[in-house]
Amino acid sequence: MKQFITSNTSIAPLAVFRVLFGFIMLVSTIRFALRGWIYELYVEPDFYFTFYGFDWVQPLGEYGMYALFFIVGLSALFIMLGYQYRIASVLFFLAFTYIELIDKTNYLNHYYFVSIIGFLLILVPANRSFSLDALRKPGLAVSKVPAWTINIFKLQLGLVYFFAGLAKLNGDWLLNAMPLKIWLPANSHLPVIGEWLTYPEAAYLLSWAGAFYDLTIVFFLLYKPTRIPAYATVIFFHLMTYALFQIGMFPFIMILVTLIFFSPEFHSKLIDRLKHFFSMVIRKRASDKTISYSGYEEPVYRPKKNALSIVTVILTVHFLLQLVLPFRYALYPGNLFWTEQGYRFSWRVMLMEKAGYASFTVHDTETGNEWQIPNWEYLTPNQEKMMSTQPDMILQFAHHLKRDFTKKGIQNIKVTVESYVTLNGRPSRLFIDPDVDLANQKRGFKHKQWILPYNES
Amino acid sequence: MMFKKSLITLTVLLLIIISYACSSDDGVTNTDENEFERAEMLANFGNNVILPSYDRLKSKVGNLNTSINEFTANPNESTLAAAQDDLKEARLAWQSANMFQFGPAESNLLRAIFNTFPTDAAKIESNVESGDFNLNTIGNRDAAGFPALGYLLHGVGDNPAEVIAAYTDNLNAENRILYLQENITLIQTSADATYEEWSPEGGNFVANFLSEQNSGVDVGSSLGQLINAFILHYERFIRDGKIGIPAGVRSANVPRPTTTEAFYAGYSSELAVENMNAVSRLFFGNSLNGEQGIGLDDNLIALEAGGLADNIGIELNEAIASLQALNDPLADQIETNNEPVLNAFTEMQDLIVLLKADMASRLGISITFQDNDGD
Repeated sequence: MKQFITSNTSIAPLAVFRVLFGFIMLVSTIRFALRGWIYELYVEPDFYFTFYGFDWVQPLGEYGMYALFFIVGLSALFIMLGYQYRIASVLFFLAFTYIELIDKTNYLNHYYFVSIIGFLLILVPANRSFSLDALRKPGLAVSKVPAWTINIFKLQLGLVYFFAGLAKLNGDWLLNAMPLKIWLPANSHLPVIGEWLTYPEAAYLLSWAGAFYDLTIVFFLLYKPTRIPAYATVIFFHLMTYALFQIGMFPFIMILVTLIFFSPEFHSKLIDRLKHFFSMVIRKRASDKTISYSGYEEPVYRPKKNALSIVTVILTVHFLLQLVLPFRYALYPGNLFWTEQGYRFSWRVMLMEKAGYASFTVHDTETGNEWQIPNWEYLTPNQEKMMSTQPDMILQFAHHLKRDFTKKGIQNIKVTVESYVTLNGRPSRLFIDPDVDLANQKRGFKHKQWILPYNES
Repeated sequence: MMFKKSLITLTVLLLIIISYACSSDDGVTNTDENEFERAEMLANFGNNVILPSYDRLKSKVGNLNTSINEFTANPNESTLAAAQDDLKEARLAWQSANMFQFGPAESNLLRAIFNTFPTDAAKIESNVESGDFNLNTIGNRDAAGFPALGYLLHGVGDNPAEVIAAYTDNLNAENRILYLQENITLIQTSADATYEEWSPEGGNFVANFLSEQNSGVDVGSSLGQLINAFILHYERFIRDGKIGIPAGVRSANVPRPTTTEAFYAGYSSELAVENMNAVSRLFFGNSLNGEQGIGLDDNLIALEAGGLADNIGIELNEAIASLQALNDPLADQIETNNEPVLNAFTEMQDLIVLLKADMASRLGISITFQDNDGD
């Protein structure tokens, strides 16, 4: 056990991890900006579905949001370069996580993953090698770090894959090949494989293969003899998901960060090659900085005792949470896919096809007047889509409607919803009790009694 | 050894996948999916549903243009009646084209120009009086288009004689004639432009519609655009615009009969029925003259969702029947007995769930370019 935590090992994998993560996050941020999503998602909407307990996280206006994204991008660049790393890693984590807390609509497991990695990077000395910080202050440079600084990333990745695999062990996925039976035929226009994707066999094969991959890939990566074919599978798997689904940068992030499973020697060679490349591109003065990395012994990283204690506590709490959070759904009655209580933050990636339609009515209980609500006057199409299948968001919207009508001078407000949801291709059915006054229901972690029970048919 | 074993397994797996992919049409299994091709459905939509709708719209608008000019040249009861009839024909033709608000229709702002209602009679009068107007501005959307023509040919007087007088004796007769002509010119120009852009002899948007790169189901794809456009139109402009809002569902149950689509002309129910018939034709892939073709129902059947296709068909019929039960003028129906109107709204509500949730979900249609991870 000690071997995995305190024994000293080459810093090379950590340095490469830092560079790759910073790089891919910089690219992601630029892509996000170029697509106009900063404006579309964080400036244009009139209303934002904040997370419970985080209602104070509000967008910062047009210039504020552009500035915030600029900070994310710049700190990603600095992380990549290993420049002012302490500040950069903290800023990246805070800015990125703030953005993600603004609107549940935009929740993606992969953004949650980025936040976690950003957080873990704060705790490790990733800038002590192959970085501008180490270049400017040679005293910082180390060649060895305690094993935990690298293994926490392997552990985190392992948890992500494994829980994603566990999530796939359900009836719809394995026995009905759902939702792939819907998503694969939608790709029938693709060359070569298009027609094959329309066969149910394809959906079953890829469902089972996907579950098997998620559950076992980390073990194949950890075991040296299988590492290379395992990584080939990683690339194949993620490129395939990229081709089949609208999944954004996630496949590329995973392909790059999974390299952390490779040996220190692999990473040392990689660093040597990159340094060689850069010294060709940027002519450096001939000094010991162009000496091959593997031949130069530098000091070992030794964190201060206090700092180490704090980090130990933080990491222990973090990983305990990571182990426990995906199971919190068991505290709630009902079908998880239906009620979604405890669904997020559990690595349930690309797991179900769910769509809904929610039609709200605002009532003035004193006069008996009623208003049908045109959702599009309050929400973007994306927000409406996400809201219509997630009870906590339906509730939030009902509260928002109450506030809106109160402003218009209406009193004695009651808000009801006629909400239908289809799950994994089943016929849509009533989702929420249509008689409940949602305006008077409280948000929070208690079970939401007004979600109608799910029946299997 | 382990390395070799896993390499072999991986290779075998890949070979299985490749062999499936390369298998010919007599395939491993015989599912309906083999016979259904999305490309064929899109070709049917593009060539037999959409393009002919715009063609007919263009020609009906052309007739209207002619008869309006005949009326303004020689205002009398017979020319007025002819213009009114042609207006109705054009508005009915519009019901078959109004849900394709993407591509050329979108860039030509077709729906906003053609059919913003309720029309603002006071604004029209003030425009006519001033004589200084540009009909193709945002400010004048509710003073132009078909609803404005409805007012100009039906609403400016309580009977045909009074209407004719507005174009002869009235102080602003000349301006009014000009207003009428500019209105139909604007409509004609837009209808022509949209048809031209779709037509293979013109901009050939049909080719774009049927292109390889647009053959998926993402939001920018042809099917994505078509389905998102027609569902949006159904929800906001048919269910709400034609029926719900006039029935009072947005105004504390207080009906608003003056907001019906053809308030002055008095055939709003007929227009609503015709629009629903067009929605039905689109769903079943049938052409304007009823020829059967490949439609969304076939797509659903091929995906083993035939039950859903049947249910949509049933709800479509129920919705159409509930609209046929409404008497024209719809404004009068609303004022005398609003119940059937509210009932029609409810029937249309049932259908929207099946379209926007069930069907869109089953077909894998996305509504946004946003990254998603199936959440």
